[in-house]
Amino acid sequence: MAVHTPPQTDQFVELQANSKALLEGISPSYFSELREAAIREYTEFGLPTVREEEFKYLPLHVLREGKYRFGFGAHFERSQLSTLTLADTDAFSFVFVNGQFAPEASSFENLPDGLEISTFEDADPAVLTQHLSKIASLKGRLGSTNDERFVALNTAFLGEGLVIQVSKNKTIERPIHILNVVSSDDAEFVAPRLLITVGENAEATVIESFETSTGRAFTCPVTEIRLEKSARLEHIKFQNESLDSVHIANIAVHQEAQSVFTSTNVNFGGHSARNDINVWLNGEYTETWLNGANVATGTQVIDNHTRLDHAMPNCQSFEVYKTILKDQSEGVFNGKIFVYEDAQKTDAKQTNQAILLSPTATMNTKPQLEIFADDVKCTHGATIGQLREDAMFYLRARGIEKSKAEALLVYAFAAEVIEKIGPHDVRASLEAALFTKLA
Amino acid sequence: MLKITNLHARVEEKEILKGINLIINPGEVHAIMGPNGSGKSTLASILAGRSDYEVTEGSVEFLGKELLELDPEERAAEGLFLAFQYPVEIPGVTNTYFLRSAVNSIRKYHGQDDISAKDFLALVKEKANMMELDASMLSRSVNEGFSGGEKKRNEIFQMAVLDPKMCVLDETDSGLDIDALKIVANGVNALRGPDRSHLVITHYQRLLDYIVPDFVHVLIEGRIVKSGGKELALELEEKGYDFIKEELLAGA
Repeated sequence: MAVHTPPQTDQFVELQANSKALLEGISPSYFSELREAAIREYTEFGLPTVREEEFKYLPLHVLREGKYRFGFGAHFERSQLSTLTLADTDAFSFVFVNGQFAPEASSFENLPDGLEISTFEDADPAVLTQHLSKIASLKGRLGSTNDERFVALNTAFLGEGLVIQVSKNKTIERPIHILNVVSSDDAEFVAPRLLITVGENAEATVIESFETSTGRAFTCPVTEIRLEKSARLEHIKFQNESLDSVHIANIAVHQEAQSVFTSTNVNFGGHSARNDINVWLNGEYTETWLNGANVATGTQVIDNHTRLDHAMPNCQSFEVYKTILKDQSEGVFNGKIFVYEDAQKTDAKQTNQAILLSPTATMNTKPQLEIFADDVKCTHGATIGQLREDAMFYLRARGIEKSKAEALLVYAFAAEVIEKIGPHDVRASLEAALFTKLA
Repeated sequence: MLKITNLHARVEEKEILKGINLIINPGEVHAIMGPNGSGKSTLASILAGRSDYEVTEGSVEFLGKELLELDPEERAAEGLFLAFQYPVEIPGVTNTYFLRSAVNSIRKYHGQDDISAKDFLALVKEKANMMELDASMLSRSVNEGFSGGEKKRNEIFQMAVLDPKMCVLDETDSGLDIDALKIVANGVNALRGPDRSHLVITHYQRLLDYIVPDFVHVLIEGRIVKSGGKELALELEEKGYDFIKEELLAGA
């Protein structure tokens, strides 16, 4: 039983009430019901406090004290994209400014056969009703700490959003890039929503980037992903919002048999940044790779919660999360792996490592394995520590000064995750951004 | 070039080097041979500045400076190079970036500007060719996924790029097949010259067929017990280390 205090006045409930007309104007009529159900669900618990286990380390007082606006129509020039880290990525790009689709800043000419991308307004209602909020739902799953209130908050503002559908047997070579840009003279509430379905034996790469052009935000995105049998998806999420922003993202993945899902989750930005990545393995012989690279400075808090539901036998998951913490920053890693009774021959490997570069930085790490099958291989390892001595000596023995060798190894620690990213231009841009972030 | 005087060292409570004396002049190639556990690699590590060992007595003079007082990076900048027995893998750092950092750090130490990208590329290409290393390895992470032979070739490649005065090769032949051994030896021989000295540490005589030393020293239980010319290596190969131990016992 979750113990909760009755909600106080919550500005997001009020904001939702005031945004109804706007949302009704831009989205299918049946979204109203979804929004109303979601705001009821959200209101039941409201904003979490640090007294709640799942949000113990995430300071969210700014969401209570600060004032946020929700609305469209920001003035944004295509040229303003140039300041963004991943603006030059070779991809079909879809730009959203404060959550509103900006076709004039996007470029998606000549989408190949088998790739369909549409806004919710233009999408097939059957696809939306079949998947929206369904993939993200944790109802009926193991564990008592399921918390979906930020999925509910996002759904309460369901309106603008994008659906990416890859048809059966199609391989889409060129990545698809969703750029979520905040452009504000104040504080925006933004609720981006993305649905990705990858058909049987199809393959694609999707990049989601979250960056601030001006101002600050509370960004609360939800991404739902469904992989059919033997589908393959590389998903890259890069969060580099301004250091006074709050970012709370939910990524929910459903994998059918033999599908391969690779996630790289990179966080450099946000004052309080949180990702929940939940993967449900619904068929046998799936592969899941969850990679994370996080760097926090100043008083940033970067919090990653991942959850793997091994519900079927013979599935493999590999997870590597790395965090570099400077100054008074704080890192959080919570890695849940549930192995259901039927999921024999599960092979799950979880590693999370942190480097603390200052005595006032803190890492909170919690592997959480709950195993109900008896013939499984599950390993987890957590290290919080210093730089590798052998590598340090090797660099110095080649003439590299101690301070530079340290910087190089800190960089390498996170770059090791970034270099596994498929698209080489994304890799190069993120490596450069990592370098800048650490400088 | 290098003058080691009465060097004693230990790890924790165990004394490993018990008074090493060795003088290496410019242009000379010295080989140190010895059985496992004799202190060969300890000597190499101490010269390069690894902190796991405690020097309890003695001194090492390198080009007129007290080597043991320098940090590892200062030793490298002064011109000492250790080819590691076990080169370290550093995922996330490319060979190119690593080497350019090393070259520029050493230049900075000598008050020189950074090497230009063009000059660096030309230098690296030339030396990679010499070591028969594929240029694609330059964009890979340092030693990551390299075979044993590639790692050792990479060591000599780095040595060629950094152009040191005193090269210490710590069991560079271990784990190499004959082809890789020849490539490594050719690389080392190409670097021989009147201003550069080598200290080749090895367990086996095999490497010395290709890198022919001027002097051979036998290290047993932390002491150099016998020195001679290149023929000493052949004698050791033939008779094993036991004959020296017996000689020592007979002399005692």
